[in-house]
Amino acid sequence: MKIVISAEGTDLEAKVAHKFGTSQYFVIVDLDSNDFEAVPNPGASGQRGAGMQAVVLAISKDAKAVLTGYCSPATCSQLKANGIEVLTGLSGTVRDVMEKYKESSLQKRMEVGAKPETSGSQVNKVALAQAFKSSAKQFVNMLPILVGVVLLIGLFNIFIPKDFLASIFSGNLALDALWGVCFGSILAGNSINSYVIGGDLSNHGVSLFAVTAIIITWVTVGLVQLPAEIAALGKKFALLRNALCFTISIPIAILTVAILNII
Amino acid sequence: MLVIYGILFATIPDKASAALKSSSNIFLNILMPLSLVFAFMLILNLLLKPVHIVKFLGTKSSIKGFLLSATAGIISMGPIYAWYPLLKELREKGAGLFPIAVFLYCRAVKPFLLPIMISYFGWQYVIILTVLTVLGSIAIGYFLSILIEVKDAS
Repeated sequence: MKIVISAEGTDLEAKVAHKFGTSQYFVIVDLDSNDFEAVPNPGASGQRGAGMQAVVLAISKDAKAVLTGYCSPATCSQLKANGIEVLTGLSGTVRDVMEKYKESSLQKRMEVGAKPETSGSQVNKVALAQAFKSSAKQFVNMLPILVGVVLLIGLFNIFIPKDFLASIFSGNLALDALWGVCFGSILAGNSINSYVIGGDLSNHGVSLFAVTAIIITWVTVGLVQLPAEIAALGKKFALLRNALCFTISIPIAILTVAILNII
Repeated sequence: MLVIYGILFATIPDKASAALKSSSNIFLNILMPLSLVFAFMLILNLLLKPVHIVKFLGTKSSIKGFLLSATAGIISMGPIYAWYPLLKELREKGAGLFPIAVFLYCRAVKPFLLPIMISYFGWQYVIILTVLTVLGSIAIGYFLSILIEVKDAS
């Protein structure tokens, strides 16, 4: 059975780190064999999603319990939802905490609702409130850019002559789709903006081939976030993936409109 | 954007007012679909947690792996850069290129935004594009796996 202990160092004499999500290291101890390993916490810098990364790590190590000083309610509930026991309020060295846990004395004194939740979502008031809070946050985050886009479209509708769009999107199927793919690859952000922009372009007579190409590449090709993708998944993967997505978006756009026309 | 509108209202109020009216019309058109978007977001947040999505991506078997990766991409929310650390973690733990490529491509399908898309383009268009996007993700995953494996072998 493995347990994860938040730690300030990489050995059993290290102090237990107070915060689980932003702990520098995790010491993972196999209580059956007494073997241990120290893993740097990918979310140690405290960036967004740090707690989540720690949860993923605990799950991937097949841990049965997390021992720490403090664990945020959200992280705690994620761990418990995955059957991982959470013990908080701990301090001292990793070895002390581990030994105490082994003796099971801590288990009785400090257990924080140890029973894992059953699978499937139990819709209760707390979960509903949390979901409402998350949704409201996501919704509010989406709004400023959406408002900006809509205001920009208003300006576009009044100030840009329709001939200008016609000069770019000439009605040539392949060229329109190519322009659309280029446009969508450069722009990024929430895809709701691509629908609003695409809808407006369509109202201005821009072909559905181009609009579809914009909508597909808006999410699938990301020149703006390419450096982040390279850093996370490697240069080869990121460049090839974006190139492939760019290329395949043209036939997908053409096929979509062709099938729609047939129907 | 507000500064631009301010300058325009001071210099050419007629056109600025027309632009604002045009924007207001767009807002009115998307108001109802937007409220549905919120409802869909609430349902997804209530029923799904990021951990479930990560588990989906970790599945090894091919057909099941594809279905779960595609589902994970479709139901994932939030900006893509928030997902990169998790994808990196999965990759380091041995997750294949195929599921990650499928996940990234299927993010183009956004169930909670469908009301907006349908209001602009109609449900037939949305269904066709959704199906082709999911099929396209297979092609991307397949070619990417082959190309990178060939490169690594050479």
